[in-house]
Amino acid sequence: MAMFTQADLVGYMRRAAGEDESISLDGDIAEVTFADLGYDSLAVMEIASLAERELGVRLPEETMAGVETPQQFVDLVNEQLPASV
Amino acid sequence: MATTRRVALLFPGQGSQYPRMAAGLYGQVEVFTDTMDQAFESLGHLGVKLRDEWRSERPGALFDDVVRAQPLLYAVEYALGRTVLDWGVRPAAMLGHSVGEMVAATLSGVLSFSSGLRLMLDRVEQYAATPPGGMLAVAASAADVTAHLTGTLAIAAVNAEQQTVVAGERAELAALTRTLRDRGFTCVAVRANQAFHSPVVAGAARRSVDAWSAVSLRPPHTRLYSARLGAVLGSAAAVDPAFWAMQPAAPVLFWPTLDLLLRDESVLLVEVGPGQGLITLARRHPALQSGHCDAVGLLPARAAGPDAELAALRAAADRLAADGHIRPGAAAPSIEARSGV
Repeated sequence: MAMFTQADLVGYMRRAAGEDESISLDGDIAEVTFADLGYDSLAVMEIASLAERELGVRLPEETMAGVETPQQFVDLVNEQLPASV
Repeated sequence: MATTRRVALLFPGQGSQYPRMAAGLYGQVEVFTDTMDQAFESLGHLGVKLRDEWRSERPGALFDDVVRAQPLLYAVEYALGRTVLDWGVRPAAMLGHSVGEMVAATLSGVLSFSSGLRLMLDRVEQYAATPPGGMLAVAASAADVTAHLTGTLAIAAVNAEQQTVVAGERAELAALTRTLRDRGFTCVAVRANQAFHSPVVAGAARRSVDAWSAVSLRPPHTRLYSARLGAVLGSAAAVDPAFWAMQPAAPVLFWPTLDLLLRDESVLLVEVGPGQGLITLARRHPALQSGHCDAVGLLPARAAGPDAELAALRAAADRLAADGHIRPGAAAPSIEARSGV
């Protein structure tokens, strides 16, 4: 995987929301806080664990505690992904 | 610009507490300060300890325990609620989660604040004697979680369609946490030392019926959505001591109750307590996603220091004024009075 994008993250966010299908993630949400989008710390951990399982990155709880926006999440994942060839 | 939305107050429960929660308002916001002083004085020896613990950056090991967290949450949320009412807000509805339901009952006239404080002294005594327990929040539906429950474990709260809280004795809860994590569930411990809202505390709840029977109870003057009932509280339940005594041992049906409130009318939800946990959950609801309803917190989403707390309170007051719920500037005197600005 070359680069983790906001669209990739939105995919995880929709899966974490599960039956809460009404959550709208359209538009530019990069700098909107997860809380304002309806994602509390437990929901953000759920997204992080999906990313850990599927991308092989490490997103420990202590690190995630400082992640407040989708942009910060995307940046954190990209720091850990191997550079594209 | 005035809107047709009315105001609904939400009161968070056990687990929302953080060190120095709302302490940034103390000495700065008159009604809040006076109400906190009243609480500490009424609580005698416990009040002295609570005041110290509340204002400490590093409170002791008991901070998340029933003996500290419950009376502090009750007092802080009631004092915040009084502040909002003092601005001139006339809420159409109230909904409290866990101990927050007792705050809603107090502000809607079911019982007096001094009665509530006496009941807190009784609660501290009864619940501190319950078996060591805890609570676990799971990112899954109640149905998915129920399949894994054993022994004393029980569903303690339905917070959202994909967020369920389990309570039970400590060792069983630890085993459940391992099981759920192994199966790919995301779980996080709730800051609690007791198994609230589960059968583990049913004995303590029964023992508190006497204290509730000694208190004068009246039907609410403001519509109270009860998360114990999953319905609007009627007069008969409101004045029944056993209803209130058993409430801390019964599951918190937060999401279905919130759903009912949001279907009944167009509201601006105001979170009256530490953090913004309840309005964050509420933002998942179709009524907020569509813009039919909206939400604002009186305090920051997470512990952020006294300046951020005052700023959040001012921003909430500005929002209430912008929506026509209070006169512009109505909140300013009570916020600025003690700071001399």
